[in-house]
Amino acid sequence: MSPSPRPTRARPKLVRTLLRLFTVQGSWNYERMQGIGVGVAEEPLLRDLRAEGGSDGVAYRTAVARGAHFFNAHPYLCGLAVGAAARAEHDGVPPEQVERLRTALCGPLGSLGDRLVWAGWLPFTSALALIGVALGLGLPAILGFIVVYNVGHVALRWWALRAGWTYGAGVAQALREPLLQRATALSGPAMALVVGAALPLVAQYLSSALVGWARLALAGVVAGGFALLWWQRARLTGLRLGLALLALAALAGWLWP
Amino acid sequence: MSLELQLLLLAWGTLVGLDLVSVPQMMIARPLVAGPIAGAMLGDVGTGLQLGVLFELFQYDILPMGATRYPEYGPATVAAVSAAHAAAGTLGLGLGALVGLITGMAGGLSLHALRQLNTRAVRRAAAALESGDARVLERLHVASILRDAVRAAVVTALGLVLALVARTYLAGALPPHGVALLNVAAVGAALAAGAVGTLRLVGRGPSLRWFAAGVVGGTVVACLR
Repeated sequence: MSPSPRPTRARPKLVRTLLRLFTVQGSWNYERMQGIGVGVAEEPLLRDLRAEGGSDGVAYRTAVARGAHFFNAHPYLCGLAVGAAARAEHDGVPPEQVERLRTALCGPLGSLGDRLVWAGWLPFTSALALIGVALGLGLPAILGFIVVYNVGHVALRWWALRAGWTYGAGVAQALREPLLQRATALSGPAMALVVGAALPLVAQYLSSALVGWARLALAGVVAGGFALLWWQRARLTGLRLGLALLALAALAGWLWP
Repeated sequence: MSLELQLLLLAWGTLVGLDLVSVPQMMIARPLVAGPIAGAMLGDVGTGLQLGVLFELFQYDILPMGATRYPEYGPATVAAVSAAHAAAGTLGLGLGALVGLITGMAGGLSLHALRQLNTRAVRRAAAALESGDARVLERLHVASILRDAVRAAVVTALGLVLALVARTYLAGALPPHGVALLNVAAVGAALAAGAVGTLRLVGRGPSLRWFAAGVVGGTVVACLR
């Protein structure tokens, strides 16, 4: 990251902002989406502007107002936009350019976070825990999941905030970092391999109490349910399939002599 | 089940519900975590693990992106464990799944309602927000988080009441083969949802081969055990 002069005593403010970023989706709404949470997280980094904008703090207040405008991206990567926008405000970047920077970051940060976390790190670590439970590890597998997942989670949030604060308006450079590119490329195959391995083991674990005809019926239900969910994906969800099957099973069990 | 235990489950379900979207998103909202901890509170880790695994598979069917609407399986799993624990040996997984899926649906609806309430609050405060009033901004944010805590508590309470009703009126009402059918339906739906959800994530690209390799590897290990 390119070293450049920063406002004084930045680290405590970055830590305060990081803590606030853990609540970034707390006020999620259909109008500004994460905007309010992003504004709240950015505010500690803007306090230096109180001195710069005169006694009425115009620079600070306009920056706070901009910070709370519409924003939507992956929650773990919001820090990148928060840091970059705050730094751009300090660097005297024109307001319309700060707005454009925030808008331009929504899509890439959303897409990157979805691939890296929702479709990568989260199912990968969760599937490892599923395998652990299926192999009889019990609660330690769950605790391992929480610790390992959150090491990656907190590291990603901290990296994003620091990268945004370091690069400011040139934050696009941070998204081209080789480590990030490699992690994104690896996360898909790694997730696929581990979740693939977890499914048969979990099937065995959950069906262990079933005997005889029930196991055969289970195979039929899984195959039929899979086909229905796959071909009716626009209308059918796992929840609806589950409720429908449970209702059918209860009725059949009631009528069975 | 004692009142103290019910209150403990209510508190846990509220934390789990808060974790899903508001704070701190450290994944205690995942059924795989919510279930076993609820089980440990009830002194029945086994049931918690089983229902945690079951609802984790349903969770694989969901990608929590942007404004999408989805069921909330965290507090649902807590309620499911409460139902299944009390009916241990009779209904187990099937009864837990029934209570959990209904609670999950209610949780999803409540999230939509919460977001609408938040939207109204933001509109009311628009002028102060545009003037850059940091105090209003922070108050609005904290109020939204508190609203979500109340929402999570209400959803968990609803689930726990459903669990109470289910174990009072359903436990013992079905014959043993009916119970087995309910279990088959719950496990079958969860496995189908988990597999389809994963394949949607994997897509048709190079990861599909890795997925197939994983399935083969997992099957071999399952056969050897």
